Amino acid sequence: MMIRKSHSLLVFLLLILAFTGCRDPFEPELTQTDFAQLVVEGYIEINGKESGIKLSRTRPVISDTDPNMESGATVMLRDEFGYQWDLQESEPGTYSFSGFLSAFSTYQLEIILNNGNRYISDNLTPIITPEIGDVGFQKDENGVDIFISTQGNDQAQYFLWDYEEYWQFKPGIQTVFIYNPETNEVDYRRPDQAINLCWNNNLFPRIILESAGKYTDKRIFQKELVNIPNRSEKLMQRYSIKVRQRAIDRESYDFWEILRKNSDDIGGIFSPLPSLIQSNISSLTDPEENVIGFVSMGQSAEKRIYINVADVFPWPFFIPEYEFCQIENDTTFISAYSRKFSSGNLIPARPIMSGTTTIGYLGAPVACTDCTLRGSNVRPDFWED
Amino acid sequence: MIRKLFCVVLLALTIGSGNVFAQQIPEEEKISGLFPGISFSRFSSQIESSTDYRFYFKKTDVDSIQVNISAKDNSISQILEGIFKNTDLKYTIDEQNRVFITKGKPLELSLAKDFFESVNSLDEEDSISRISDTERAFSRNKLHVLGSSQSENSSSTASLSGKITGLETGNPVYGAVVFEKVNYTRAIANEEGFFSIDLPKGRHTIFIQNLGGFVEQRQISLQGDGILDISIEENIISLKEIVVSSEKMTNISRPQMGVQSLSIKAMKKIPAILGEVDILKGLLTLPGVKTVGEASVGFNVRGGAADQNLILFNNATIYNPSHLFGLFSAFNPDMVEEVDLYKGGIPVKYGGRLSSVLDVKAKYGDKEKFKVSGGIGLMTGRLTVEGPIGKNTTFVVGGRSTYSDWILDLLEEKTDFNDARASFYDFNFNFQHKLNAKNIIRLNSYLSQDQFRFDPDTAFNYKNQNINLAWTHYFSERLEAEFIVGQDRYQFGIEGRDNPLNAYDFGFEILQNHLRANFTYEMDLQHTLSFGASSIQYNFRPGYINPFGTESIVIPEEVNPEKALETAFYIGDAFEINDQLAVDFGLRYVIYNYLGPNTVNSYQPGGPISPSTITGEKSYGEGDIINTYHGPEFRVSGRYNLNNISSIKAGYNTMRQFTHLLTNTSAISPTDTWKLSDPNIRPQWGDQVSIGYYRNLKIDQYEFSLELYHRNMRNLIDYRSGASLILNNEIEQSILKTDGRAYGAEVMLKKNTGKLNGWISYTYSRSLLRTASDETAEKINKGDYYPSNFDQPHNVVVVGNYELSKRLSTSLNANYSTGRPVTYPVSKFQYAGSERVYFSERNAYRIPDYFRIDFSINIEGNHKVRKLAHSSWSIGVYNLLGRKNPYSVYFTPVNGTLQGYQLSIFAQPIPFITYNFRF
Repeated sequence: MMIRKSHSLLVFLLLILAFTGCRDPFEPELTQTDFAQLVVEGYIEINGKESGIKLSRTRPVISDTDPNMESGATVMLRDEFGYQWDLQESEPGTYSFSGFLSAFSTYQLEIILNNGNRYISDNLTPIITPEIGDVGFQKDENGVDIFISTQGNDQAQYFLWDYEEYWQFKPGIQTVFIYNPETNEVDYRRPDQAINLCWNNNLFPRIILESAGKYTDKRIFQKELVNIPNRSEKLMQRYSIKVRQRAIDRESYDFWEILRKNSDDIGGIFSPLPSLIQSNISSLTDPEENVIGFVSMGQSAEKRIYINVADVFPWPFFIPEYEFCQIENDTTFISAYSRKFSSGNLIPARPIMSGTTTIGYLGAPVACTDCTLRGSNVRPDFWED
Repeated sequence: MIRKLFCVVLLALTIGSGNVFAQQIPEEEKISGLFPGISFSRFSSQIESSTDYRFYFKKTDVDSIQVNISAKDNSISQILEGIFKNTDLKYTIDEQNRVFITKGKPLELSLAKDFFESVNSLDEEDSISRISDTERAFSRNKLHVLGSSQSENSSSTASLSGKITGLETGNPVYGAVVFEKVNYTRAIANEEGFFSIDLPKGRHTIFIQNLGGFVEQRQISLQGDGILDISIEENIISLKEIVVSSEKMTNISRPQMGVQSLSIKAMKKIPAILGEVDILKGLLTLPGVKTVGEASVGFNVRGGAADQNLILFNNATIYNPSHLFGLFSAFNPDMVEEVDLYKGGIPVKYGGRLSSVLDVKAKYGDKEKFKVSGGIGLMTGRLTVEGPIGKNTTFVVGGRSTYSDWILDLLEEKTDFNDARASFYDFNFNFQHKLNAKNIIRLNSYLSQDQFRFDPDTAFNYKNQNINLAWTHYFSERLEAEFIVGQDRYQFGIEGRDNPLNAYDFGFEILQNHLRANFTYEMDLQHTLSFGASSIQYNFRPGYINPFGTESIVIPEEVNPEKALETAFYIGDAFEINDQLAVDFGLRYVIYNYLGPNTVNSYQPGGPISPSTITGEKSYGEGDIINTYHGPEFRVSGRYNLNNISSIKAGYNTMRQFTHLLTNTSAISPTDTWKLSDPNIRPQWGDQVSIGYYRNLKIDQYEFSLELYHRNMRNLIDYRSGASLILNNEIEQSILKTDGRAYGAEVMLKKNTGKLNGWISYTYSRSLLRTASDETAEKINKGDYYPSNFDQPHNVVVVGNYELSKRLSTSLNANYSTGRPVTYPVSKFQYAGSERVYFSERNAYRIPDYFRIDFSINIEGNHKVRKLAHSSWSIGVYNLLGRKNPYSVYFTPVNGTLQGYQLSIFAQPIPFITYNFRF
């Protein structure tokens, strides 16, 4: 609903209105207690897709350490008849599962940590997610909005979406040339040396939630997932988004909603107060212990779309890193190849011809020509042209 | 024995006998007889039996004495000389033939010569040193007995006449008003300062008021016609209105405590944001009144929530007292006469809120002539017209509006924030008609509206609409009544136009009808009774959403409308027991009925209120009483005058509140809804104990007050994690029953007069909450006390005005307060691809302290009598130091890592200028 969105806008307006309001970085003096609570995250797919549970621990809020993964635990899933499935630790702290489970049973997840502490989840009932109706996009004055439409049913009313974005981009100055130090010549690049076209991605999505219950026939229409602002590089060539849709139960929805509110909405003037994060995992060893995280089961649905620059034409774009890119004015002649190009900071960009003979190259900075500095030139597996 | 001796001496002194020694007594009784080797005790009793002499001695002193003499017509002195030879005993004989035997030194019967004189001079010194206070107190309290009771004139009244002169100049004071406050008989001094007033015979306190001077008082006992000349302070330049002077007396002498009055004149001096005189901002300079931050709607009184203040604007209840999210208060300053805030000692006629009553009194228009006044500020303009219509009717009409979005337009160029709009207006029309000497009719009406939007998609609006009619009737000189009937309406709406398919209208509305009857009866000199009844009928539409347009697929939804009736009866007595002691006490009985039609869930008793504990659902029809809450409220406050310049007061009151603001934020947001008490949400209850000390210094130039209070509150509302408050038909499943306590001390020193005036106040206050012990759904902070969102223990306010000249004055306002509590993230974790935060216990930390200084200069136009308009300019700077006071602190993931931010609202000095005029 728009009401919530508008609250944060309200804050924004207030700042603007006062025309002097401001937002400054802030580091509070906090007690550096490391609570190191157990965090359990996961969604277990029941139709054979690889899925899993991640176990980690909280860290002090001001700390630069990597996530503190909890490895060496025993994680198992048990149904109401006592059948048991073990999850295998595929990488530190990640316990994977791929198998087929009945959608009509209830399950419990049990965790035994390395230190012997035991945890058990509440009863989990798988929910089959309805297929995604449509992922579409629309261009307006604020850029391009990508939205999703779907329809819920009696079992699946609460939806959670996440997504992965990939896009192609080109560097500020494109070149097909490469300096070969062995021959002291400039060659054409092989496909694996190409630096003209790269892929970038965004895998840190926002949490997007919606309840279908308030719409006619539980139909969610054009729920906005992503806004690509004007002049974004994402649409300079070709863009792809894969949306995963999961139907979850009411309690999980509440958990995600609190998580979302605690992340997105906190701190504004009309923002709600932070809420306590709850969990459907409890400790069998110490009932007082607080666990973070909500585990769900079911079958998710996915959909991928592509958007070409032609679909949103015209799409002027701007990449700050390439703002001041220029090809050198002075020709680098063959004799100077080694001196100028061997360090790798300057890349031959344009040939200078004398008749049909190349007598030298105009160089360009590597930061302007090499897209792999900002992305990867390896085509993702799924990518279709 | 020795004690007896001294008593006698003192007695002798008091009856005024002279200083006598035995040697000086001309005729001594002669004694004859043989006293062979007997003890002194025996000797003395033998002498006592045969003569008038009486002996006084200490037994131990004379134990060793053997009397062995033979006397023949000897005097007692000669005998005693003989007996006491070679001892250190001495004797003294006084006029009454009492013989005092002492050791070492004869008893000194005389006093120091200057004994009495020295007492006198000390007294004199004292009174010189405290001439300003003491002498004044003396002449105020001294009873002047006037006239002769034996006079042949047997009529019940007598005439008091006299001359009023200036204390310093001795000149007659022309125009001084002499009055008494029982029947309000009054007389005015003529050009020679002479006055004459007819009063009933007997005791009176008469007051002498010179315009612009102090109120002086005299105690008189009028036996017959008499003359009393009075010297009063005169003040040639009239700086103060009578209202202000009477306030001065009330600081000390009114029995209620915790009452703050601010005249609009005082408020005009306080520098304001964007130059707009602001009543709510003015209140925030008083001790015990706080806000959670700039630009937040509402205020907190003595640790109470923002919804616990009853805000009355000429009898109308105002649910949202702000414009533009709290940047401006909803009251047009030109319309306001006076503002009273009752923090404690709430008069018995008010009820329905836990913390305070803010009574904003609007004008009814000038009786003499038409007046136009107004002002132009950076964002708003206002205009007020008032005046008489005929002899008995006056009116005032005023409006205020934003006239430009230019600030927003300006911003538009700098940001990609297109189409943001914010505007408001308010409108007042008040009217008073005197039907005859005994009946006055008053009409009060108020309308305010705010509209704002951030993009063309979503628009917000809210509106206050109030109208009421009051009829004042004087049954007799003593019995006065006021009958009020009116309607108050508050509503807000959101229009969502993002997409034709999702387009919606959201709305919320409160409509309340009220009927009140208030009587005051001046029973006698000691008792003033007030009694009456009030009834409020509530109609809430707690939220509805409708599709907009034919394409929209939004399902219309409405939370069940709510109805209730709150009825109260009250009686109170202002009892002046004597000059020192006065008590105000009252009882208010409230009956609250939650009415149908509605559908109400019932829950397992004792269990947590949650979807799983619903045991049933019951529907009620129109007019059915769903449930009833009722109970008494007590209001007691008393004052004891220590002397004319200081008093102590104490008070106790209890309050009940049946409406609850549902807000998940720390400030009132324009989209917060209200909820009525129902079978599952009990009414809030609170009490308050307070004591205070009040003193005026330097002839009322300074006022000092100290008040201490302690409050208990029950059935407050806090929210469960993730509570959703909008469009929720089962609000009881989202709330937590909470208890609260608040306590604190408020100190204020105020300087009323002089070129430099203003006040300093310091408040210490705590406001704590605790999940009720019988709440089982969730325990915030494990059921321990936690600070409320507005718990700011230390608060210092300095308001200073300095008059450079009659036309130029400056004001400085400084405000310090402890940072408000906040829940910080204490740890972080990775979840769903981003870093997330885990929060500390509720309100375990505080944001940095708040400190701000504002400065303004007021320039009055020239004082020529004949000119088109009187104008004034107000120029100033808000947040002079440009301190970045954090409004809040928050953490948000930026590109997957957590970043803390502090948000300041007015982070720079904000200059302002306003032009005011009247003609």
